Amino acid sequence: MGVMDQVELPKPVRYVFNWGRKFSLWCFNFGLACCAIEFIAASTSRHDFIRLGVIPFAHGPRQADLLVVSGTLTDKMAPAVKRLYEEMPEPKYVISFGSCANCGGPYWDSYSVTKGVDQVIPVDVYVPGCPPRPEALLDGIITLQHMIQHESLPDRIAGRRQDAVTLGADAPLTLEGR
Amino acid sequence: MAGVLARRDRALNPEETEALLREHLGEQVLGSVVEFGTFTCKLAPEGWVEAARLARDEPQLAYDLFDSLFGVDAREEGFDVVAVLYSTSTGNRLVLRTRVPGGRDAPRLASITEIYRGADWMERETYDMFGVVFDGHPGLEPRILTVENFEGWPLRKDFHLASRAAKPWPGVKEPAELDEDGNVIERVPEIGDAPGPYELDKAMAAQAKAVIEQERVEREERERKAAERAAKAAERQARKEAKARAAAEAAAAKAAAAEADADQQPASSDEEDGA
Ligand code: SF4
Repeated sequence: MGVMDQVELPKPVRYVFNWGRKFSLWCFNFGLACCAIEFIAASTSRHDFIRLGVIPFAHGPRQADLLVVSGTLTDKMAPAVKRLYEEMPEPKYVISFGSCANCGGPYWDSYSVTKGVDQVIPVDVYVPGCPPRPEALLDGIITLQHMIQHESLPDRIAGRRQDAVTLGADAPLTLEGR
Repeated sequence: MAGVLARRDRALNPEETEALLREHLGEQVLGSVVEFGTFTCKLAPEGWVEAARLARDEPQLAYDLFDSLFGVDAREEGFDVVAVLYSTSTGNRLVLRTRVPGGRDAPRLASITEIYRGADWMERETYDMFGVVFDGHPGLEPRILTVENFEGWPLRKDFHLASRAAKPWPGVKEPAELDEDGNVIERVPEIGDAPGPYELDKAMAAQAKAVIEQERVEREERERKAAERAAKAAERQARKEAKARAAAEAAAAKAAAAEADADQQPASSDEEDGA
């Protein structure tokens, strides 16, 4: 990113810059279980998140801006998630999609399931549900885009992140009012 | 694998299979059972490898496809290991089952990876989940399903879930019910038992009966009313007909009387005229 992650840009430039970034999120789908199907549904023609500028199925983590962890993360798999996350270039964003990725979900007492992907990597948006509907993922993406629009890149790179958002935690899930 | 000659129409039935195994293994065949259309042969652990070899190589058996292998917790008695074999030529399925020697503390069984290569990972998984050690296996470590440094054998019944210790089950009903002393209540279902909790099933059956009874009463009531209405209508009809008939009769009588009068009248007038 060069100078841009060192220097705070003037506000109008930053606005345009963030606007460009938020509408070209290359997305890496870490599909681990049933929720991955909902992610795929969200990427296909009916819900079609390409219209929000999210480009699914990046060729690999090195080409991706957004990591969507959808499904049940096991302790055995956790190092792989960590590693792929670390391969992604900054600035990178994580959406935790589904109860399993949020907190272990129905397998909260299992011997093998990690109790939330946030134990391994930082998460920006939590989308609750088992599985969440594709609309919920769209909602999560819009929320993330909102965050990106209002953030400062140097802050982000320096690790000063905004607080994570849990969809539906303060109000019912809805596409309005964002 | 030479000589896989057995054909579907010449496939051995369970009795013949057992007889054949007994012929070769003698006392090591402990018994057999056919359940849900699956033939299960119980073996002594010493005959485990030999039985697998026989099942594969005996031309009449020809169990050439290794399906799966897994463990079963047999509580105090230790663990069972079960192997499922399939024959692509005869279409038969054979289940071999044995109680692993060594009890709960040091279960050890001979590996069948020499015979069925596919048993490799299955045995590793059984080792992972139950801690059964397979002698002669090319390498049980590192653990294949759990993380490498995992402690304990998670599918053993006495394995404690750490999360459960911190937080009780949040649902309505414990998956394993406890009695007052905190012991797990064991329910051994009989064949033909209700599939769900018995009381609930009974309640649902009673409800269904009540609904059916209610419907029956209502239907009878409806039928009775309809019959009553029909009877009344018939009565009314009959009365109407009777009235009409009576009226017609009366009219006819009147007409007849009038006619008689008319016959008499001119006569009398004639009489009057004549007088
Ligand atoms: S949250 Fe539910 S739907 Fe999603 S992966 Fe877990 S169990 Fe499957």
